[in-house]
Amino acid sequence: MAYLSTTNFAEDKDFIDKWLYTIRTGEMDLGWMKSATEKISPEEANPRRGLTYRDLNLGTYGFTDIPEKVRANRSYAPRGAEIPEGVPDAQPWVSRKSELWAFNTESYYEEAVSRQWNATTDIPWDRLEGVELPEVTGKALSQLMTFLTEVEMIATDTPAMWLPRLNPDFIEVRSFIAAQAMDEARHAEVFRKRALTTGWGLMQASPINEMALKHLRDADSFSEMSVALHLVAEGNVLTMFRFSEYLSPTDVDKKIFRLVMQDEARHVGYGMQHFKYVLEHFPEKREVLHAHLDEAENISFAGAAATELTESFIILAGGGLKKENIEQGIRVTTQFNLKQMQEHFERLDKCGMPERKERSKLFQMYEMGRAAAENAGIKL
Amino acid sequence: MAFYADKDYTVDQTVLEAAQKVMAGQLGLHWYEAKTERIAGRASDPRRGLTYQDLDVGTYGYTNIPEDVRTSQSMVSRGSEKVGKLPDMGYVVNRKSDVWSDNVAELYEEDKARRWVPAIDIPWNELHAHPVAPELEMACAQLYTFLQECQLVAMDFPSKWVALINQDFLEQKSWMCAQMLDASRLFEVFRKRALYGGAGLGRASRTAEQGLKEWLWADQFPQGSVSINLSLAGFLLVLYRQVAAFAPTKVDRAIMRYAMQDGARQTAYGLGQLRYYLKHRPLEASAMEAYLDHTEHALLGLIGSPELLEPMIIICGGGLEKAQVDNGRIATAKFIRLAVREYMERIAAAGLAGHSKRSKIPAMVDRISAPA
Amino acid sequence: MAISFPSTEYFEALKAQMASNEEKFRRLGFIDTTFGVSVGLNGRARNFVLEFEVFDLKKVSEVPAIDLKKVDFQIQGDAQVWREMIENIRRNGEADSAHDINTLAHFGERLKIVYDDPDGHDKLYRFMESIQEFFDLSSKLEVSF
Repeated sequence: MAYLSTTNFAEDKDFIDKWLYTIRTGEMDLGWMKSATEKISPEEANPRRGLTYRDLNLGTYGFTDIPEKVRANRSYAPRGAEIPEGVPDAQPWVSRKSELWAFNTESYYEEAVSRQWNATTDIPWDRLEGVELPEVTGKALSQLMTFLTEVEMIATDTPAMWLPRLNPDFIEVRSFIAAQAMDEARHAEVFRKRALTTGWGLMQASPINEMALKHLRDADSFSEMSVALHLVAEGNVLTMFRFSEYLSPTDVDKKIFRLVMQDEARHVGYGMQHFKYVLEHFPEKREVLHAHLDEAENISFAGAAATELTESFIILAGGGLKKENIEQGIRVTTQFNLKQMQEHFERLDKCGMPERKERSKLFQMYEMGRAAAENAGIKL
Repeated sequence: MAFYADKDYTVDQTVLEAAQKVMAGQLGLHWYEAKTERIAGRASDPRRGLTYQDLDVGTYGYTNIPEDVRTSQSMVSRGSEKVGKLPDMGYVVNRKSDVWSDNVAELYEEDKARRWVPAIDIPWNELHAHPVAPELEMACAQLYTFLQECQLVAMDFPSKWVALINQDFLEQKSWMCAQMLDASRLFEVFRKRALYGGAGLGRASRTAEQGLKEWLWADQFPQGSVSINLSLAGFLLVLYRQVAAFAPTKVDRAIMRYAMQDGARQTAYGLGQLRYYLKHRPLEASAMEAYLDHTEHALLGLIGSPELLEPMIIICGGGLEKAQVDNGRIATAKFIRLAVREYMERIAAAGLAGHSKRSKIPAMVDRISAPA
Repeated sequence: MAISFPSTEYFEALKAQMASNEEKFRRLGFIDTTFGVSVGLNGRARNFVLEFEVFDLKKVSEVPAIDLKKVDFQIQGDAQVWREMIENIRRNGEADSAHDINTLAHFGERLKIVYDDPDGHDKLYRFMESIQEFFDLSSKLEVSF
């Protein structure tokens, strides 16, 4: 399976003699000085922001002018460099811009790099000293954290799988994915750390949600992967983070959820922008994406049986296991579930797929659920 | 490749009933008495915060991960209770010695603590305030073009493997995520430097890319790791130190000081992983020697690339005048000897003590007349 | 009052400066390394071991000889080279390109890095920014030689 270079450099006498000669004599070819590449004069648009990729969005180096189909480069040459004969083929699977592009990708990346927080030092773990949550709250929190730490790394593994398959000309997207991988490792870390500080440790795995992770992982194309991961799954998780912040039993938990939701919002932002872009520029993909969403929704239905998550949410929302606690918890959890679905369809609508509602069984369930909730006096 | 669930859940009554039961207030609480270890982890050093090392305890810890992970092929968090039918994520790396390094948790924590931001941590305006001579700027642009190629490959290696590695090796996978971000940040700073100076990018390197692809596309993780995390990373570490020492501008010095930090961490993992692998799988030593025998030539593809060698001579000498080129080639010769010496030292320290005697590289480098 | 170099007082003074500039060092990140500094004069050497942990210099000690197995690496150099570096730092507020640790030690011609394990050697570079900023604190001291 391994690749072999077209030359064994240890046995290429001409190659070896040439560079030894250069070192011994200082005689240089300097052919690279005549590279047929563009000269540009970038400026920092905002010195307080520093030098950004957007400042370098000029000419052949810029991302705006990347053509829809990248034909000229399949190597590891950076975009805009002169590409000599004989460079290897990096075997990219995705060389079509509309398959992965999103407005603002470069800014999402720059923001990610500048907003990297540290789960070790930026969470005031010492404030948990002496904090003893009631058993029911502690266990529910641990279960929620167990779920979150379990699912977070899918958003590392899955986009990372695609990163080396993307044509290197799309460096801004590759970089965004690299930053996302680090974001998600950090999320898995902070949720694991929190679970292991509660006094209860980790709780139970979530087999139904594991099935969802498998679906996310094994997409046929980058766009399908992105719509299911960035838009649907991370959109749902973003809503969950917001509710979890609201339900947090300590200020340490509130801080955790505030920080993770910043990262998640960036990922969802990319997902929305990419979804818009692919629908506008690659309209043939629309039906393919509908089909992928059909299966994503099938698995969402299965998620209703992930009672370890629902129940822990109810307990946190209601504050306990007494009848009145559970009733309050169900009210809040119902609001959360409906909000999740509402925001999901709002995103699809905003990004150019308003017709999804007509086709979606999940939307039918949402409408029924909303009606039932309103009858029960639960407002969104 | 697409995965489809085992049934159509939109018409599955069991699922619907389970959900309705809970939302009617009948909580099953099957998770409430989870059979997992109870733990209240705390930071051993409050100044350092709560680290993965602090949580290396019992069933949750990484020290106790067995060599063969047979009981988990899903994303279930290490130490949590597995229930129900779990999917197989398709991991092909399930042996600890294939990926582990004793310093991996430490390196991950250090990486997070020592992050930097190319957009604002480099004094970019110094380049316009104190521009360098055109030929020197062109040499810098060419060098940074070469370095971008290297970082594209450095980014690809962890990303192509991370999803194939068992999730139980969480700390190691997290380290790989840190590597991806490090590589993208280094690519970013190299690209920004190449373009901000006004000379434009240079020429990609055929020889470097051919060698890099051979390393990147290694069959197995340990082999790929030794190539990318030790051979390549170690070479680049010396290169960053060299350019920092001969930096034409404050911008280049700042870039290289940050780069050497990131590069040294990567090298530390590469050395640590090879060491761990050979310590726990001593029978693999000869296969690893054979792999190095076969693929080390790629290092020459980097060293001898005119797209690296010539700009290095110009940068180290300060220009194209004869005396400058003479100084530059002497310094570059020293750089090559230093890079090869340190490479051999690391390989020996990892457990392949006799490798320098069988490798062809030292003899080739000895043919350079200038001593290091 | 001037602090003599080399001496434990010199490194203790840098330690105090590091503590006063905690925010800067915190921003640079963890520094976890123990290294030796060896200053040669007239054929003899004065040797110091510096233990850094988290964001601080934890301990300074003068020792008769540095055991390479107990430190990550050792920076060796003649007193003249160290003096030149410190004077450069005091003149410029920080070491210039020709006088920082990396440049002086790069080919082992002025300062030399010795180590038992290459992994220890690599720690010099993992923490280079912090180590350089540490020595650059000499700009805040009166130093005599």
